[in-house]
Amino acid sequence: MKKFLAPVIVVLFMASTALAAGPVKIGLMGPMTGSWASEGQEMKQVVELLAQELNAKGGVNGEKVEVISEDDGGDPRTAALAAQRLATLGVVAVIGTYGSAVTEATQNIYSEAKIIQIANGSTAIRLTEKNLKYFFRTCPRDDEQAKVAAATIQMLKVKKVAILHDNSTYAKGLADETKGLLGKDKGVEIVFFDALTPKEQDYTTILTKIKGTNPDFVFFTGYYGEAGLLLKQKKEMGWNVSFMGGDATNNPDLVKVAGKDAAAGFYFISAPLPKDLPTEEAKAFLAEFSKKYGNAPGSIYSVLAGDGFRVTVAAIDKAKTADTGKMAEYLHTGLKDFPGLTGKISFNDKGDRVGEVYRVYKVNPDGQFILQQ
Amino acid sequence: MEQLALQLTNGLAVGGIYALIALGYTMVYGVLKLINFAHSDLFTLGAYLGFTLLASKLLTGMGAFWGTIILAMMVMGMIAIVGALLDRVAYRPLRESPRLSAVVSALGASIFLQNAIMLVYGARYQVYPQDILPRMAMDIMGVQVPLVRVLVLCISLAMMAGLYFFIQRTRIGTAIRAAAIDQGAARLMGIDVNRVILIVFMVGPALGGAAGLLVGLYYGQINFAMGWGYGLKAFTAAILGGIGNIPGAMIGGLLLGVIESLGAAYVSLAYKDAIAFMVLILILIFRPTGLLGERVAEKV
Repeated sequence: MKKFLAPVIVVLFMASTALAAGPVKIGLMGPMTGSWASEGQEMKQVVELLAQELNAKGGVNGEKVEVISEDDGGDPRTAALAAQRLATLGVVAVIGTYGSAVTEATQNIYSEAKIIQIANGSTAIRLTEKNLKYFFRTCPRDDEQAKVAAATIQMLKVKKVAILHDNSTYAKGLADETKGLLGKDKGVEIVFFDALTPKEQDYTTILTKIKGTNPDFVFFTGYYGEAGLLLKQKKEMGWNVSFMGGDATNNPDLVKVAGKDAAAGFYFISAPLPKDLPTEEAKAFLAEFSKKYGNAPGSIYSVLAGDGFRVTVAAIDKAKTADTGKMAEYLHTGLKDFPGLTGKISFNDKGDRVGEVYRVYKVNPDGQFILQQ
Repeated sequence: MEQLALQLTNGLAVGGIYALIALGYTMVYGVLKLINFAHSDLFTLGAYLGFTLLASKLLTGMGAFWGTIILAMMVMGMIAIVGALLDRVAYRPLRESPRLSAVVSALGASIFLQNAIMLVYGARYQVYPQDILPRMAMDIMGVQVPLVRVLVLCISLAMMAGLYFFIQRTRIGTAIRAAAIDQGAARLMGIDVNRVILIVFMVGPALGGAAGLLVGLYYGQINFAMGWGYGLKAFTAAILGGIGNIPGAMIGGLLLGVIESLGAAYVSLAYKDAIAFMVLILILIFRPTGLLGERVAEKV
C-alpha cells in the first residue's frame, strides 16, 4: 500500500505546484442553493463579470484570473466541506460568504491554509475579534448597525420598542447590541425581547404575544423570509405598528413574500443599495451588469462580494505576488481609500472595513426601497 | 383575555393543518404498522402542485370559490395517484420483508421526493399568488380574528369529518378497519387487503396534499424543505392521539397546535418546541399508547 501511495503523493504535489504557476485562482464561496440562494447566485454573477473584465484587460501581474465557485448551501456544515475543497484547489483568496454562522465555520480552515478570506455579508462582531491575519470583510459590523438602529429608533421618537431575533449568530448579536445601546436611554423602554424559530410559516402566535406588550415599534433582526411572513401576518391581524429590519431583510423577495401593501412602510437598515451607490466605478459597473444579465443587481452583498474581489486583485497587483502573507500585510496597512464600488475601502488591523456604511431605507407602496435622509 | 382567545385561534388553525397531515401517518400505520416518512414530502408536493396549477392560469376563468374547490380536487387527485404509485414502487415489493426494510424504503422515498422537488422547482422560496383567500378580520365576541384562520380550521375539520364518515360508514371503510385489526383474518373474510392498502395510500396522501395546498394558500410562501417541520409535528400529533387511531390524530393535531401557541405565549417563545415536546413526553408517561390509543397491546 505504501509503495503505491508514495508516487501518488509525489505526483499530486507536483500537480499542485504546477497548477500554482498557471492562472491566479480566486475562490468564491456563496449560498448557491438553500434559502439564501438568490444572494449566492448573484454573488457569482458579480464576481464572474468582474473577472471577465479584468482578464479582457490582461489580468493581474500578467496572469489571468480564474474564479472557482463553491456552494456553501447557507449551511455551516456544507460550508466547511466547500472550504476544504477550495483549500485543496490552491486558491490564494476566497470571497465570501453571506451568513455569519456559515463564515464562522470556515474561518479556521482558510486561516490554517493561509488563504485570504474576504467575507461579503457576515456582519457578526466576533468574526474579526479572533486576531486572524487572513480574514477581512467588506461589509460593516453589527455594532455599527446597532448604532444606526438605536439612532433611528431614537430619531423616530419611539417610546416602547419590541426586539425580536431568531437565535442565529448574526440576529442575536445585532439584537443584543441594540438592546445594550437603548438600555442607556431613559426615554426608550424595551417591552419585549425574544426569539422566533426560523423557517416556520406561522408567526401569528409571536405577533399576538408582541402585540400584547403594546409596543409602538418592532425591530426584527433576522432574515427576509421570516420578515416577509411577519409583515404579511401582522397586516392580516389588522395590527398597525411600525416595523424595522436589520440588513438581512434587504432583499426584493421580502416584498414578494409579504405583498406590496403589507411591506409598505417597513424600515430597514442596510448598506446602500446598488442603485443608490454614488461612485463613478459603481455606475459603470452597474451599467455593465445590466447589459450582461438584463437587470441590475438586487442585493448589496453581491456588490460587496465584487469589492472583495477587487481588493484581492489590488493586493496581488501592489504586492507584485500572489503570496498570501504579503497580500494580507498590504490589505491591513497599504490599502488606503481604495475606490470600491460601495465607496472608499480601507481595513483596520482586525480586518474590519473602516468608515460608516449603513443607511436607513423605507419600503414605499409600490414595493420599492427608498433611501431615507 | 383577548390575548388568550387570539392565541387559541392561532393554535387551532395550525393544529388543524397538523391534524390533516397526521391522518395520513396514522392511517398507514393503522393498516401496515409502517411509518410512511415520505408522507411529509407528499404534503410539500401538494403545495407545489397547487402552485403550478395557479401559475398556469388554468383556473382563472372561474370565480374564487369554485376555482379554489376545483384546485383542491385536482391537487388531491394528483397526490392520491402519487401516493398509489409510491405504494406500488416503494412499499408493495417489500410487503413480506421484515418491517425495517420498509422503513428504510420510506426514508429513501422521502429523500428522493424532496430532492426531486428541489431540482424541478429550484431551492428558492416560491410565492403563491396573493389574495386568493379573502384577507379580512372577523369579529368574534370582540376579538379580531383573521377570517382565513377560521376558514383553514373549518376546511380541516370538514375534511376530517368526511374521512371519519368514510371510515365508519362505508363498505370500504369497514374493510380498512378490518384490515387494521387483523390483516390475515380480513383476507380470509374475502377482503382484498392489497386494494385496501392502495386506498389507504390514496386517501392519506390526498389529505396531506390538501394540507400542503392550504399552507400555500394561507401563508403564501413555500419551499422544498418545509415538509420536514410539519411532518415532524404531525407525526408527533399522531402519537399524541394514539397512533393508528383516526379521531386520535385529529385531537392530537389540534391539541399540539394549542399547546404550542399557549406555551409560546405564556412561557417562552424561544422554547416553544421544547415545551410542546415536554407535554408530549408527560402524556406518554401516563398514557403510553397516546390519548385515544388502544389500551391493551393486541399484537404479539
